[in-house]
Amino acid sequence: MATLDLHRISKSFGTAKVLHDIDLAIKDKEFVVFVGPSGCGKSTLLRIIAGLEEASSGKVVIDGADVSDAHPVDRGISMVFQSYALYPHLTVFENIAFPLRVQKLAEPDLKQRVMRAAEILQLTDKLKLKPGQLSGGQRQRVAIGRSIVRNPKVFLFDEPLSNLDAALRGDMRVELSQLHRELDATMVYVTHDQVEAMTMADRIVVLNGGRVEQFGTPMELYHHPATKFVAGFIGQPNMNLIPATVLGTDGGLTVEIDGGHRMTLPVDSSAASAGDKVEVGIRPEDVDLGDGGLSISVRVLERLGGVSITYGTIGNGETRFCASLPGDAAVREGEPLHLSVAPSDCHVFDASGRVLRRTAAPALVA
Amino acid sequence: MIRQCCRWLAVALWGLFLTETAQAASPIRPTETVRRKVLPEAWFAWLLLTPAMVFIAVIIAWPLVETIRLSFTDADLGGESYVGVANYVDLMESRRFRQTVTTTFYWMFLSVGLKLILGLIGACLLNAAVPGRAVFRMLVMPPWVIPIAIGVIGWLWMYNGYFGLLSGMGQRIGLFDGPYAFLAGRTSAFYSAVVTDVWVGTPMITLFFLAAMQGVNRDLYEAAWVDGAGRWYRFRRITIPQIMPVIVSMALLSAIWTFNSFDIIFILTQGGPRGATTTLIIDTYKVAIGNFKFGEGAARAVVIVVLLATFSALYLFLLNKVNKTYGVK
Repeated sequence: MATLDLHRISKSFGTAKVLHDIDLAIKDKEFVVFVGPSGCGKSTLLRIIAGLEEASSGKVVIDGADVSDAHPVDRGISMVFQSYALYPHLTVFENIAFPLRVQKLAEPDLKQRVMRAAEILQLTDKLKLKPGQLSGGQRQRVAIGRSIVRNPKVFLFDEPLSNLDAALRGDMRVELSQLHRELDATMVYVTHDQVEAMTMADRIVVLNGGRVEQFGTPMELYHHPATKFVAGFIGQPNMNLIPATVLGTDGGLTVEIDGGHRMTLPVDSSAASAGDKVEVGIRPEDVDLGDGGLSISVRVLERLGGVSITYGTIGNGETRFCASLPGDAAVREGEPLHLSVAPSDCHVFDASGRVLRRTAAPALVA
Repeated sequence: MIRQCCRWLAVALWGLFLTETAQAASPIRPTETVRRKVLPEAWFAWLLLTPAMVFIAVIIAWPLVETIRLSFTDADLGGESYVGVANYVDLMESRRFRQTVTTTFYWMFLSVGLKLILGLIGACLLNAAVPGRAVFRMLVMPPWVIPIAIGVIGWLWMYNGYFGLLSGMGQRIGLFDGPYAFLAGRTSAFYSAVVTDVWVGTPMITLFFLAAMQGVNRDLYEAAWVDGAGRWYRFRRITIPQIMPVIVSMALLSAIWTFNSFDIIFILTQGGPRGATTTLIIDTYKVAIGNFKFGEGAARAVVIVVLLATFSALYLFLLNKVNKTYGVK
């Protein structure tokens, strides 16, 4: 398998620049997920790695070799498309065998490699069927099978689960993670679904507006989001962002949030000064019931069984706030709710959206 | 004539009235109740079908039955009498008729084959990402858009030996010693008619193929490209199978249209010279309308109907098979 390095990759379509100097170093056998909202450039970046798009500038290096101008086959990559891209007129066997037929591989060898892929993906009893006779998950497996048989250096996945229903998506996430372990391969995976990113990735690249917001492990992104965008994108429900004013910087950062509540937060306050406008980030799952100074008026309550997601407003009623509480929490819509949060669980973002480093954050779990 | 028009108008209005009644009733919830009050549902359905059925009976069924009946007679301007299968026996024994059938099939296969090949090439070229593609697509249209008679008269002039463009060009480049009348020789007249038919028929096939090609999922090509498939391989293994249902449809429909083609041959050669371009449809016209031998003409028409019915059955069978093979639902 192989390493994948991107050096200052930029891409423009006409006057629109969609990727800005992307630098990434992906390790051997790593499962890296590109995640971001629609139009952030993640698919374009993947297509540049695949050789389906040409970068306006920059280099794609696989295993130390510059492959920026190489044909996809010579790059040693294979790609699984969002639409599966299965040939409807060919059987499952022929679909999987397609890349090998292009290479004019001898029939016994071809058959052996197709059967091996089919065994890994549990498709041996479906080899004579056509794609139209398969379920969405099975089609996805055939598409993966077609990429496996080529023994590529790097696997590329372009939103492969987005056409599946929620339950099947969950199953396929587990299967893909298992497949990664089994093949021990370098994989790059594009999705807009942060749950897929968090559950499958060794490391996540969060893209926004054609720029890398942050590149790190899922827990790093969760506990130490570098920007307000990452903080809002990673985690479900989204992090609450409450406008606040800096009151002092001695022994942490003392702020007054909307609603008048004052807190001293353990963050690096060296770059802040009294009077600065900041935003305090509080994850919905980090709040508890109790009079800790946070008071919200509950507007909508979603009881999911294990947890109750509570939506309301804080302060002057303009700042929305979400809390994830125990399933049987005594909460009612329309009533005020008193909550507490540990200062060490709070994040602070300056006016430009950059984080003030937390000094008492939990230890990272790989 | 006026009475006939009034009758058709009445039929059309009756159909319109029934349709409007059904449409007006449908948005209101108790549609069935409203309908049942007037008529039972089955009756209402038959009533809606009546105009179309009358139309089919008058325009298709009656002429067909009448043609079959006439084919067992020696009907001409002087009257008719029953002759049994004599007309058919004569046809089977006629060397000239067998020659006509051979000419018809040769004409059909050659013309359709050329139209399909040129249509495929044209569609590939028009599908290529080249600048000014839209202009090229428009330039393909004229042979199809202009009335056939006008286009064919243009060809008639071009084929003329004395003032025709082709003869003149041939003489200039030293191909012909003198004026060459393309429609005067048996062989050249036949192939000239084929060329004109191909000129008229290819644009539509090209556009159908082009539409089919544009409907092919681009991801299939990209997946194949990533797998290392070259242009020709992608065309052979993806494009052709993906547009195969359209190819089959166009091949068989074009075969039926070419088999029945009358105007092009009639304007160019009227079936001549010496029967070189006489196809079944031209022969039938000459016998039935030209020589007023309605009985013999009817027998020829019945043979055409049988052959076309066979084509149609083959078309449906093949289309069904191709759709299954190529995964079309």
